[in-house]
Amino acid sequence: MDVSGLVDTATGRQSRAIYSSEELYRQELERIFGRCWLFLVHTSQIPEAGDYFRTFMGEDDVIVIRQKGGTIKAFLNSCTHRGNRICRSDRGNAKAFTCNYHGWSFAPDGSLSAVPLEKEAYFGELDRSRLGLVPVAHVAEYKGLVFGCFDADPPSLEDYLGDAKFFLDVWLDAMPGGTSLVGETQKMVLASNWKLPVENVCGDGYHLGWAHAGAMRAVQSLDLAGLSVGNSSTDLDGGLSVAGLNGHMALTSLDGVSGYAFYPKPKPMLDYLEFNRPQVIERLGKVRGEQLWGSQINITIFPNLQFLPGLNWFRVYHPKGPGQIEQWTWAMVENDMPAEIQAAILDNQCLTFGLAGLFDNDDGDNLAACTEQSRGWRTAQMDVFTNMALNRSGPREGFPGDIAAGLVSEHNQRYFYRRWQEHMQADNWAGVPTYNINSVVAEETINA
Amino acid sequence: MLESGVAPMSTESVTGLTQRLYHEARLLDAERFEDWLEFMCNDVTYRMELKRRRFRADRSPPAAVGVGVVFNENLARLKLRIDRLRSGFVWAEDPPNFVRRVVSNVEVERADAENEAIVHSVIVIHRNRIDGLTRVLTAGRSDRWRMHADGWKLAAREIALDHAVLPDSNINVFF
Repeated sequence: MDVSGLVDTATGRQSRAIYSSEELYRQELERIFGRCWLFLVHTSQIPEAGDYFRTFMGEDDVIVIRQKGGTIKAFLNSCTHRGNRICRSDRGNAKAFTCNYHGWSFAPDGSLSAVPLEKEAYFGELDRSRLGLVPVAHVAEYKGLVFGCFDADPPSLEDYLGDAKFFLDVWLDAMPGGTSLVGETQKMVLASNWKLPVENVCGDGYHLGWAHAGAMRAVQSLDLAGLSVGNSSTDLDGGLSVAGLNGHMALTSLDGVSGYAFYPKPKPMLDYLEFNRPQVIERLGKVRGEQLWGSQINITIFPNLQFLPGLNWFRVYHPKGPGQIEQWTWAMVENDMPAEIQAAILDNQCLTFGLAGLFDNDDGDNLAACTEQSRGWRTAQMDVFTNMALNRSGPREGFPGDIAAGLVSEHNQRYFYRRWQEHMQADNWAGVPTYNINSVVAEETINA
Repeated sequence: MLESGVAPMSTESVTGLTQRLYHEARLLDAERFEDWLEFMCNDVTYRMELKRRRFRADRSPPAAVGVGVVFNENLARLKLRIDRLRSGFVWAEDPPNFVRRVVSNVEVERADAENEAIVHSVIVIHRNRIDGLTRVLTAGRSDRWRMHADGWKLAAREIALDHAVLPDSNINVFF
């Protein structure tokens, strides 16, 4: 389906059909979820050989398994005999995965290790070597984050992430011990199109002071770039909306502490930041060490991974049809943090963005209603707009990307929909442009 | 009879605690949160851990740092949640949702402390939401109630939610 008229980046317009059309959704499963690198698991979630984690790539059920020797493989969670799901547990450790239906058994390396009645009923003629679990075409890791890709010939994960690594490293590589995801998976069904929560978190500082006013009033303990309850003011000098990085985005404040603005008792975290900041400046340089580490940052890796250093939640959205998603959330910690800070982070993440999260519980109904209001005969023909602060972006010394001032802007959302359109228009990776605008290490590079 | 094998609580205590659970449910259905808080001990703990789905023979160790929670509240945190609900900014609750709690399977046991009782129960929260759709949440509860001069008060509640995937966009309700 031709999507050239459905998104207009220049004016910040999207057709509502992109949130409701079944046909476009099938095309997204092929051209976005079937093509992009998708987050699978954090290495901390499967530390030992035989550890596995069940997740989704688009609507495809996938098991990610730590191998003997430490490498990580991923397979479709489907028996190669009759297609049954072979793993029904969320995660765990196993020596084998045995299908419920007829008892075919697969080893952690995916090989078909045992077939009941192989000699008696198959007459020894079954070629087990051709019937192993189907692997995800590519699996790669970036500093603890494991991604998978179904596409036969994608760019490398490093190239896919591009200059977004500048921001990723503020979390993944600030401290020498690395990071972990902690706690069980917090799973919620939302009657929302998958793009709406991504759009919300990638750039929408505008909704914070209004949609979350009740929660902000209840727990905010520090200032955050002048964002205020009831949206009565905003300070455009206090934050940046960064996009133009291969469809990835960052929305960041610049004060080095406001990540912990929504902790009722932030002092232990602020002490930790203060104590370790010299080391982080040494590792990441002054701009990131002073202005970004500890700040509230929303990081988006296209299409469906988002995480927020400070509030310390890490999330993927699994599409379940055009009008439904499963939202999976974990708390994230730095491994160098003292145990009591890690515990406080898990607790505060659950308080603010957990299943009963004071903030998170404000968003679901808005996203669901935006989805529903794109489904009617008349509304499906209408448009919606992300046209705030058009043509007010540019380079900013020390940072990569095309940057608009402030946390309240719709700059990032426009780049998100631009990337969506680029993928949906392209038949394969060769047709998808690569761009890391205003690269800090080189001049602007656009290889369309 | 009860698992513990000890003498059962008096009929008066069983009736009193059962009535308290029903009353509590009615207060919450009516959003009389401040009246509900009157039944909390000052040191109350109110917890719901995250659920996990594992094979029975799973060999993996428990989660480092902790499994995580839906609720991990003390009295101040319960008040914080009520402050948010009372702020006038919680759009998901305006117009109000139709909420009805059904409390059942009440079982009262003696506790170690003379003035306390263990109470097990099941709660079903039926919510007809703003979108016109109904969601039902089911949970088991294990409480410790403590007798005060003005009656039984809740000292601790452990809530086991029976959903691995929350079938709704919020939990703006107390169990």
